Amino acid sequence: MKSTPIEVNHTTKQGQAALWSKIVNKYVLEIILLVIILSMTFASPGFLTTDNLLNILRNMALQGCIAFGMTMVIIAGEIDLSIGSTVALTGVIVGLVSGWLSEAGWMGIDQAALVGIVVAFFAAGLLGLFNGWILTKYKLPSFIITLAMLNVIYGLAAVVSKGFPVTTLPSWYSVIGSGKIWSIPIPAIILLLVFAVVFVIMNHTKFGREVYAVGGNPESARLSGIHVTRVKIICMVAVQLCAALSGILVSSQVMSGSFNFGKGWEMLVIAAVIIGGTSLMGGIGKVWGTFIGLIFLGVLINAMVLLNINEYVQYIVRGLLILIAVLITAIQFQKKRAR
Amino acid sequence: MTRLETRSITKIYPGTVALQQVSASFESGKVHALLGKNGSGKSTLLKIFSGAVQPTSGEVVLDGTPLKFTDPSQAFAKGIATVYQELSLVPGMSVAENILLGRTPMRGPLVNWKQTYAKAKELMQELRVDIPADEMVYNLSVGQAQMIEIVKAMSFRPKVLQLDEPTSALAKNEVEALFAMIRELKKQDVIIIYVSHRLHELWEIADSCTVLREGQLIGTAPMAKLSRRELISMMFGDVEIRTRPSDLRRSERIVLEVKGLTRKNKWKDISFQLHEGEILGIAGMLGSGRTELLKSIFGAERFDSGEIMYQGECIPAPTPEKMKKRGFALTPEDRKQEGLIQIHSIRENLCLANFDQIRKGLFLDRQKELQLVDRQLTDLQIKVTDIEHPISSLSGGNQQKVVVGNWLNSNPRVIFFDEPTRGIDVNAKQQIFQIIWDQSRKGVSSIIVSSELEELLEVCHRILILRDGQIVGEYEPEELRMEDVYALSMGGEEREIDPDRG
Repeated sequence: MKSTPIEVNHTTKQGQAALWSKIVNKYVLEIILLVIILSMTFASPGFLTTDNLLNILRNMALQGCIAFGMTMVIIAGEIDLSIGSTVALTGVIVGLVSGWLSEAGWMGIDQAALVGIVVAFFAAGLLGLFNGWILTKYKLPSFIITLAMLNVIYGLAAVVSKGFPVTTLPSWYSVIGSGKIWSIPIPAIILLLVFAVVFVIMNHTKFGREVYAVGGNPESARLSGIHVTRVKIICMVAVQLCAALSGILVSSQVMSGSFNFGKGWEMLVIAAVIIGGTSLMGGIGKVWGTFIGLIFLGVLINAMVLLNINEYVQYIVRGLLILIAVLITAIQFQKKRAR
Repeated sequence: MTRLETRSITKIYPGTVALQQVSASFESGKVHALLGKNGSGKSTLLKIFSGAVQPTSGEVVLDGTPLKFTDPSQAFAKGIATVYQELSLVPGMSVAENILLGRTPMRGPLVNWKQTYAKAKELMQELRVDIPADEMVYNLSVGQAQMIEIVKAMSFRPKVLQLDEPTSALAKNEVEALFAMIRELKKQDVIIIYVSHRLHELWEIADSCTVLREGQLIGTAPMAKLSRRELISMMFGDVEIRTRPSDLRRSERIVLEVKGLTRKNKWKDISFQLHEGEILGIAGMLGSGRTELLKSIFGAERFDSGEIMYQGECIPAPTPEKMKKRGFALTPEDRKQEGLIQIHSIRENLCLANFDQIRKGLFLDRQKELQLVDRQLTDLQIKVTDIEHPISSLSGGNQQKVVVGNWLNSNPRVIFFDEPTRGIDVNAKQQIFQIIWDQSRKGVSSIIVSSELEELLEVCHRILILRDGQIVGEYEPEELRMEDVYALSMGGEEREIDPDRG
């Protein structure tokens, strides 16, 4: 492609200004993040230490895993509000299954927990299938379906656990959530792995492009020979599997499964995705953006804790910053359109 | 009796003359059909009457008083009501509320429901419309909604009622009901201006017709004295039809055979064959089921019975996915809603149907993708400044080429073109034809559906006539004149009455 005059004139003042505005536009979130990190470094000496940074990653890992699955779902033009409950249910399932199997004497609790993990993933997968099936078969909005399922799954987790935390877990189980490899917390490693896998799927595979197409215009996608139903169902399953992973991480960190885990997480997860520039209308979004969105939220929460900001003020700041980030994306989009 | 006249109305848009010295007259108690093909200026005239557009020169005269409007509300106040194709009713309100929207009878601060319903009932009875006043509008059929829209317009006691394509979305029985209502309307002292693409209905409902072509008034004639052939030649004039290049051959080999395809209420027992390299046209009026036919064969819509054979092999339960794998392609009628993803880039849209072509094992190959994109940009002469720009930045013609290019990248053997030239300029049209011919030279077969029937004569080897859900004829373009194609597609008896072109 021929370069535009703007790009040619980098040496002139005008050209440079244009170039800068282009860069700022493209990396606005990254720049804001950098500014926060820099000012925090000066404001709080404890901030820019390896320990604290890894801490941020570990703290974000729980919701972060789900955010990548949610990115797929939102790009496909759907949403899943039920993930918080799935986090609770899967944690409970691992505990219950290992408890049952070991008490029945079928196997030691060490192996039983492994079976529990498999069952948890399986259950989450089924929930995703169910959401996807209702969604594609009856053409109901995923917002409504998963809002209903949020309650159903929450209740289910409470009923099967009889309302008590389930603590029948083997000691090795705590390694998943609290262990370290080369002094890097395992949840952080898992988070980076999920990021890498989803990044590759969405950017370098046929399926990823199909997700974008389906979210961009389902009818055009269908008439182009893309199996829209299948794509949507796979995305709905993927986010539930991510939630199961997160449920296992949480239950491992506290060594118990409870129906109260994951409550309200959907909002934080969706916020990270949206801050990252993914459009709730579907068809537009970046996995990298979600990663930045997660770090953004993580740094923000961490910074406010380090600065001893009142807990309730934290809510206000967090909410406002989410609003600002989304506003920036919206304004950029409108500018692009007006061009 | 009231009379609406236009006195040498001219409307000039930058670059085009939409109306040129048009002087026509319409009187009350009659249904006046306003006719002309796309771009003839009839919509402009409609808009001038409704106040949405002001004429460059000339004037509109109602009962001897010249009218000047600067916006539609003024035209409305002077008694010109227009009912548009897009219905403006509020779905979540009752019939009565819609008819009396903004002027419901009140009792203090509250709506007087008893009076509202009674008033609406009374207005409907005047036009013999029998729809419960408390029914919600979302429960109505399109035809019923259309009737309520007219009741609402008439409740303002207009002198002129403009109906823009009132039957285009209606089923047969609904058209009957609507016509019954329009006949009631004629008894009132109102001028009815009626615009429709469904020419065959005009003899049933219109008293006279006014024909425009390229912005000029061609003539006004009473419907009873006009034959179909005469009407068509008034509308279309003598169009020079070019023919396809002489080197285009079709082989004897049959690629696609459709046997007894039936879909309830759409079409019945459709059978035809498509040869290798052949360009087959399907001529039919809007609503003849032509789009649905293409989509059903392509597997994007259902059909009830019948067989689709490709290369001698029956394809059970086709889906777009399966058909693409077999070498089928479909460029849809509505390129914005069905052919392209408006928010995605030119590059992405050019590869929408080709993820398998750009795949290398598990992953996509950017290099291959760029090759495919470049190939189509060059072959189809698509003008772009940057392939990463959104597709919506391109002109209609270039967008259509992207739709076609997207499918050519999948190396199809059979391509269905649904309205390939809709909304694109003459130059781009010729380029699309060139593409279709080039594909034929490569042995690719095509089926083309177009509302501009004269285009089929220009492009195709063979033309099938689809009318009332059946194939009623098969012709070579050399055997046909344009009037024939329109007459055959519209059907009905030919009237042998002397021409009288007022």
